[in-house]
Amino acid sequence: MPSCLEISLKPQLIDAHGAGVAQKAKSYFGIALDGVRSVNILTLDADLSDGQLERLRTEIFTNPVIQVSSYAPLEIDFDWVIWVGYRPGVRDNPGATAVEAIEDLFGLKFTKDQAVYTSMRYCCKGKGLTRRDMETIAKEILANDIIQQWKVFSKEEWDPKTGVGVIIPKVKLDHEPSVSTVSISSDEELMRISDERNLALNPNDIPTIRSYFLREDVLEARKEVGLSEPTDVELEYISQARSDHCNHNTFGGKFFYTDLATGEKMVMDNLFKSCISDPTKAIAAQKPWVISVLWDNAGVGKFDDDHYYSITGETHNSPSNMEAYGGAITGIVGVYRDPMGTGKGSKLIAGTYGFCVGPRDYNGDLKPRLTPRRLLDGIIEGVKDGGNKSGIPTAFGQVCFDPGYLGKCLVFVTALGLMPAKVDGGPSEEKTTSPGELVVMCGGRVGKDGIHGVTASSEVFSEHTPAGHVQIGDPYTQKKMHDFLLEARDQGLIAFITDNGGGGLSSSVGESARFSDGCKVDLAKVPLKYDGLDQWEIWVSESQERMTLSIKPEHEEQFFALAKKHAVECTVIGTYTDSGKLHITYKDETCAYVDMDLLTAAFPQWEFEAEWVPPELRGLKEPVLSAPADHNGLLLDMLNRPNICSKEWITRQYDHEVQGTSAIKPLVGKERDTPSDGAVYRPVLTSESGIAISQAVLPTYSAIDAYHMTACVMDEAVRRVLAVGADPEQIGGVDNFCWPTIIFDEKQNPDGKHKAAQLVRSCLALRDLCNAYDLPLLSGKDSMYVDGHLPGRYGERHKVSALETLQFTTTGLVHDVAHCKTMDLKAPGDLVYIAGLTKNELGASEYYEHLGHLGLNVPKVDAKANMALYKALYKAMTEDCVASVRGVYRGGLGVHLALCSMAGCLGLDLDLAKIPAEGAGRDDALLYSESAGRFILTVAPSDKERFEEIFAGLPTACVGQVTEAPVLSIKGLDGAEIIRTEVQDMKDAWKKRFGGLI
Amino acid sequence: MKKVRVLVLTGYGLNCDHETANAFSLAGAEPVRVHINSLIAGEERLEDFQILAFGGGFSWGDDHGAGVIQATRMKNNLGGQLLEFVEKGGLVIAICNGFQAVVNLGLLPGFDNDYTSRSVALTYNDSGNFRDDWVYLAPNEKSPCVFTKGLESFDLPVRHGEGKLYAEDAVIKRLQDNNQVALRYALADGSPANGKFPENPNGAVDDIAGICDPTGRIFGLMPHPEATVHYSNHPQWTRIKEEKKRKGEALGDAVSPGLQIFINGVNYVRENQ
Repeated sequence: MPSCLEISLKPQLIDAHGAGVAQKAKSYFGIALDGVRSVNILTLDADLSDGQLERLRTEIFTNPVIQVSSYAPLEIDFDWVIWVGYRPGVRDNPGATAVEAIEDLFGLKFTKDQAVYTSMRYCCKGKGLTRRDMETIAKEILANDIIQQWKVFSKEEWDPKTGVGVIIPKVKLDHEPSVSTVSISSDEELMRISDERNLALNPNDIPTIRSYFLREDVLEARKEVGLSEPTDVELEYISQARSDHCNHNTFGGKFFYTDLATGEKMVMDNLFKSCISDPTKAIAAQKPWVISVLWDNAGVGKFDDDHYYSITGETHNSPSNMEAYGGAITGIVGVYRDPMGTGKGSKLIAGTYGFCVGPRDYNGDLKPRLTPRRLLDGIIEGVKDGGNKSGIPTAFGQVCFDPGYLGKCLVFVTALGLMPAKVDGGPSEEKTTSPGELVVMCGGRVGKDGIHGVTASSEVFSEHTPAGHVQIGDPYTQKKMHDFLLEARDQGLIAFITDNGGGGLSSSVGESARFSDGCKVDLAKVPLKYDGLDQWEIWVSESQERMTLSIKPEHEEQFFALAKKHAVECTVIGTYTDSGKLHITYKDETCAYVDMDLLTAAFPQWEFEAEWVPPELRGLKEPVLSAPADHNGLLLDMLNRPNICSKEWITRQYDHEVQGTSAIKPLVGKERDTPSDGAVYRPVLTSESGIAISQAVLPTYSAIDAYHMTACVMDEAVRRVLAVGADPEQIGGVDNFCWPTIIFDEKQNPDGKHKAAQLVRSCLALRDLCNAYDLPLLSGKDSMYVDGHLPGRYGERHKVSALETLQFTTTGLVHDVAHCKTMDLKAPGDLVYIAGLTKNELGASEYYEHLGHLGLNVPKVDAKANMALYKALYKAMTEDCVASVRGVYRGGLGVHLALCSMAGCLGLDLDLAKIPAEGAGRDDALLYSESAGRFILTVAPSDKERFEEIFAGLPTACVGQVTEAPVLSIKGLDGAEIIRTEVQDMKDAWKKRFGGLI
Repeated sequence: MKKVRVLVLTGYGLNCDHETANAFSLAGAEPVRVHINSLIAGEERLEDFQILAFGGGFSWGDDHGAGVIQATRMKNNLGGQLLEFVEKGGLVIAICNGFQAVVNLGLLPGFDNDYTSRSVALTYNDSGNFRDDWVYLAPNEKSPCVFTKGLESFDLPVRHGEGKLYAEDAVIKRLQDNNQVALRYALADGSPANGKFPENPNGAVDDIAGICDPTGRIFGLMPHPEATVHYSNHPQWTRIKEEKKRKGEALGDAVSPGLQIFINGVNYVRENQ
């Protein structure tokens, strides 16, 4: 007999959660609530005696100081009640910990049929509230129908005896697992089945798949294990492995590129090889600090003789777009498994985020599934819980608003790990599986969640996208596993480790078995959340918080004893072999038997048409614009722009100091409120060395040319880590591409060829900048199909494509954190220098955007000139003859001088005529051009001579000085003061947009 | 010199164990990170240690109230050992999630030698959200707390969503009267924050950031002293360095107030046991 325990704060206490709901209802929908009290409900679906129920109520679930509770509905005054609970099968983290606590208290074990479910009841007070208001609050604030269900009760409908009633969201499948075979009688038949089963097989792959299964020797071998036609388990395996998400077919494709201006043609065969892996291999060969790249879950660089660091970045766009919180938390917790599964395993030491979303206050005709505001709230919270509860500092982050992301948002997550250089006397970055070793699944259990996640993210979001792949990450379970795996690693118990991400076991077992050349796995041994999953579902489910390991049989006992200590579930599900076969059984019956080399067989290369029309010929031009007269007003408005203004409210929600390693924080300055160029962590507590990490994203430039977008993004990310103290010789990059669909279709994607050309150009820039900056790509990922089809005002659907976007992450070694710098002005009387040339490059700038123009003159990177400057800067920083360092990024000098001033709470007295410039002959161009390669530096007068010696011959000039009076004063080219603004006024303008958010 | 052994709890989502152990090392002690289950299984024994550290983190994901399930598990399985440890004069420092666990265990406030009753709660911040920021703290010089002895007002990071100290008026009064309030949130000049946000980051009653038991040997606080034992942990260190440079001084490596808290604990053990 299930029981419902209601728990609430004592009435005299502030209900901050309820107040938050009321505040959102008011500001989002104008619904005035006089008060909201929230009630936690635990639905206990287990056989517990009255005595036990009372004990768990008083001893665990009720804090006598602040809470009241009852097994009957609590009497709380309301006008309306909203109840919100999970749908069946959705991960209920507090439900799971409640089970743990009850089991521990009574020394019992819940059976598979027993569980605890959590839900919420909101008691809303207010005059004139309607059912419709309540439905709005339920649907738009409290619940997402993909994962949650809700009920609304009026006063009249409420029965004080039964309350919301007993609702048990238990999964009941009543299904006998079965393997089915798939007809391959013709290509068309297989394609039809692929569509029907949502396999997302590429039509080009189908003949290869068919011909494999029709091969005589294959038929012969399959016959011996009782198979003929391919099974669903096999086809799912192939589908997952061949999906664009896992296989990167786009980057491995062949691009037929035509420059329509010159008629020049070029064939780019495999962008990944030519622009990513070849340059990185060549650079890595010159740089012994690059330890391991291009094959593992994350790239590995040297930290010191005893430690390496690992880094990778990922996106979680499609799931976040549908369920923002669940998608984002699964994203951050998921990317944290990559370093855990790199080499023999890393400890996680930092994470970062990048959110690209529609304008927060978007109020137009298009109706995205979640409003940008709600979506942003959700992803912020998801990354918050995922990072904070993992005990990993969230080091850095960025937010970019653009209408192109209304169709699909981007959620970038990056993970930084640390591992010992040696494990058990051997190199930590190496790992392999060997015949006879055990295949071990570790961490969470397998359910229906996450099925077809990979293939869905390889598709454009539409109303038919299955929602089943939305999951909720569980940082608690993963943190336990993280601690356990590090101890297992240090005891030399791990032969091989990789994470279960996209594709689940099919991917992790399939890939790890390539090393030994075979495996035999029994799916019946895989622990499940509930019965009734088909074999193929067990095989491809992406249920979270799982790793796949290879353990030597002699280590089995020690490994499992350690797992028990850490309360981590581990199961032997098979053995690695050298049979050359991926052999999957369910109990004794074979359900997959394919050659290990099938996936490396000759699948056809994808092909793309790419056509480039240079921006001039696309009709882009510089706007006809006279010089502004009110520079003060302009600067304040620029500071208030969504992509410039303060986002402290997000940064403060993220723990960036856990682990005690933070040396340069994401927020710096006298009042700790200004975003730093980058963050620095000192991950080994006994060492003075650090790792700088930063990132950049500049999608707007793609509207002119993705080549220059890419070059500028990379230059910015490099400058950001240089600005805080990274050694320019030891910087690595991570590329994360997010691109709209590039497959040309006359009706569905008429500009596909242009987008394909942009991708080619972006990759060329990536290659060029890597070579120019000697910058190895430690890791990278691509996520295509950033498009959405949004309903409009009249029921029509609009395709909305994102701008071609690259997020670039940089890590750089800091030899001694004592030489790190921050961007805040330090002392009155310090000299202000601008390093790097300012050009007339306002194209796609924040300034032009503010005035409603795009323009043509997009910033271009002069990599060679920049590098000389960067090396000089590094020298000046290590000699401590600069006091503050700031790169000049989006918004140009005007914005970044203002930020330096605000951060130091000091003024500046500057002369634009002194800025090293080339062709930027107007005040507005000097202030707002976004030319790459520039820094704002301040220097103590006593260091002037040495500083100028180091920068001799470089485009660097003293443009003024720091003043005690907190006023930004700037003289224009004609010698008259054009800006005179109090620091406090700038801060007010910069903070007012999101300042009320907490 | 006498060895001081510190047991730093780990496992089940706790996460500040490495830096807490590091802080105790720097303070001259010998810390050992011990999984809660190793303690329960008897692989390590509390009686072999002089200081017990409940560190920060998200034990059991903070579900059902921060520190609640950790407290239940420890009470069930280690209750006797804990009380014996306290009775024999052991020191306890409980930071953030550890503080939350300790008030749920009843080790604090420890009125009338009762170390099992819950009378103080740490609940949701008034802001409704998690917050990472630095706060100024004013120690109570009359407090018997051994960890805050000799400290003047200083700053530390806070990183929590459930740090608002709450108790019935009578309990608060008793804490005040006994000088069990060891640390209060303050303004930059050391004067009381008087509930002002963000100086008082969570709405804690009477700006209370940390309390001790009547003996002063058990200390719980929301801010994180272990996260500021190296000069570069301080958010203003690049500014301080430039200020000092202009006076012809080096940044130096003076003991931070954060580290002093651990040193005080270690010295107390050396002097008293």
